[in-house]
Amino acid sequence: MSERNPRPEHLIEAVLLVSASPISSPDLSSATGLSKDEMETALGTLAQRYAPETSGIVLRNVAGGYLLSTNPSCSRAVERFREEARPAPLSNAAHEVLACALYLGPLTRGAVSRVRGVNSDAVVRTLLERNLLAEVATDHEAPGSPALLGVTDEFLAATGASSTDDFPPLGSLVSPEELSRVHERLTSTTAPQDGGETP
Amino acid sequence: MTFEGRSLADFTVELDVYSGPYEWLLALILKDELEIFEIPLRELVESYVGAREQNGANNLERDTDFAGSASALVLLKSRTLSPAIDGEGEDPEDEALSPEELAERLTEYLKIRRAAERLRERFASNAGHHPSAHTVPPRPGRLQVRADRVTLTARRTFSRLIEPPLRHLGPITVTLQDLATMIRTALAGGPVSYEILTRDMDRLNRAVTFAAALSLAQEGGLTLAQTEPLGPLTLEPKA
Repeated sequence: MSERNPRPEHLIEAVLLVSASPISSPDLSSATGLSKDEMETALGTLAQRYAPETSGIVLRNVAGGYLLSTNPSCSRAVERFREEARPAPLSNAAHEVLACALYLGPLTRGAVSRVRGVNSDAVVRTLLERNLLAEVATDHEAPGSPALLGVTDEFLAATGASSTDDFPPLGSLVSPEELSRVHERLTSTTAPQDGGETP
Repeated sequence: MTFEGRSLADFTVELDVYSGPYEWLLALILKDELEIFEIPLRELVESYVGAREQNGANNLERDTDFAGSASALVLLKSRTLSPAIDGEGEDPEDEALSPEELAERLTEYLKIRRAAERLRERFASNAGHHPSAHTVPPRPGRLQVRADRVTLTARRTFSRLIEPPLRHLGPITVTLQDLATMIRTALAGGPVSYEILTRDMDRLNRAVTFAAALSLAQEGGLTLAQTEPLGPLTLEPKA
C-alpha cells in the first residue's frame, strides 16, 4: 500500500475505526471520496476480513450504517480490561415497552400503559436513560401535548437491526390458532352465568 | 462472611432477571431499575432457604432481616399489581369494556408480548459488541467555539483593516498625479512599453507608475495590452 494512495477498503476501515456509532453509506462516501461501486466492493472485502469466525473485530451493518465492534466472543476480555460490567439485562416489562414503541410508535407513555394494562412510566424512564427510547415528537392534539416515544439508533444497534424494517410484522408474531384460542377462552369466561351456553 | 449490621450482605440470588447480591436487588427495585412484578418472590424465598445454614451463628438476625425485606417486597408487589387498592381508580373506559373490546386489547397485548420475547432474543444474541472507544470531538463552530480559530478567521476576514508595514520602502517622492502626467506625455507619441517607460525608475516609482497606468485605464485614457501572462506590457493611447 502506498501512503499517498490508500486502497478503498483501507480508507473505510480507518474512518470506521474512529467512530463509536454507525456511519451511513453517504457519510462514508463523503469522508473517503469513494464512489458507490468502490464502496460496495470495499465493504465486501472488509466484511470478509472482519467476519466473526476470523477476527476479534467484526463489521456490523446496524442502525442504517456500518460499525466496527469487538467480537462478542471476546467480550469478557474487553469488559475486564475496561473494568466495566455489562448493563443489567432488560426486564420483560422493558422489552414490552420497547415492542410498543417499535411496532405502535411513536406513541405516548399513556398509550404504552394502555396497551400493557399497567403503568409503565418507571420502565420508560429507565429506557430513556439507557438511550433505547427517545422522545421523538410531541402529540399537540392531546391534552398537555405529551411526548411521543420512539426507538433509537442505539436500540437498533443493540438488536443488530439495520432499520425498523428488519423486524417481522407484528401480525405475524401470533398464529391465528393462538388468537382464536384466546378469543375462545375470553368468550367462555365473560359469558353470562345464567345465559346458558355460549354460541 | 457477614458484615456487622448487614446480616444479608453475603446473600446472593440467581434469578432470570437478576443475578447478584440480594441487597443490590432491593436497591434496584427501590430505584425502579427493576420491576417488582418481574421478581419471582417464591423463587427468592426458596433461594434464601436453600442457602441458609442450619446452625449459623446469626441465623435469627438473618431470618428476621430477610422476613422483613421479603414481606415488604410482597406488599410492594401486591400494590403494584392491584392499583385499585389505593382508591385512585382506573380509567372509567376500562370498566365499560365489552367482551369484544377486551378481546381486541388482549389480542394487541398478546402480539406485543410475543414481540417482546423476540426482542429479548435479539438483545441476547447481539450482546457483547463493544464499538470503538474513540469519541469524536465536537465540530468547531457548531458545538464548540475556539477563541484562537475565531481570532484567526476574523483576522483573515478583516485583514484590510491592518495596514501593511511600509518601512522597507523608504520615502515616497512622487505622486500619482505626477506619474499620470508623465504617462500622458509619453503616450502623445504613440504606444509605449511599460518596461521602457519605467527603465530608469526605482522599484517604488515603478509600482506607483503601474498604479497610475491602471487609474488612467480605468478612466478610459489608455489601454493596457499584454499578449500573454507576465509578458511585456504596452500602454496604448485610446483612440
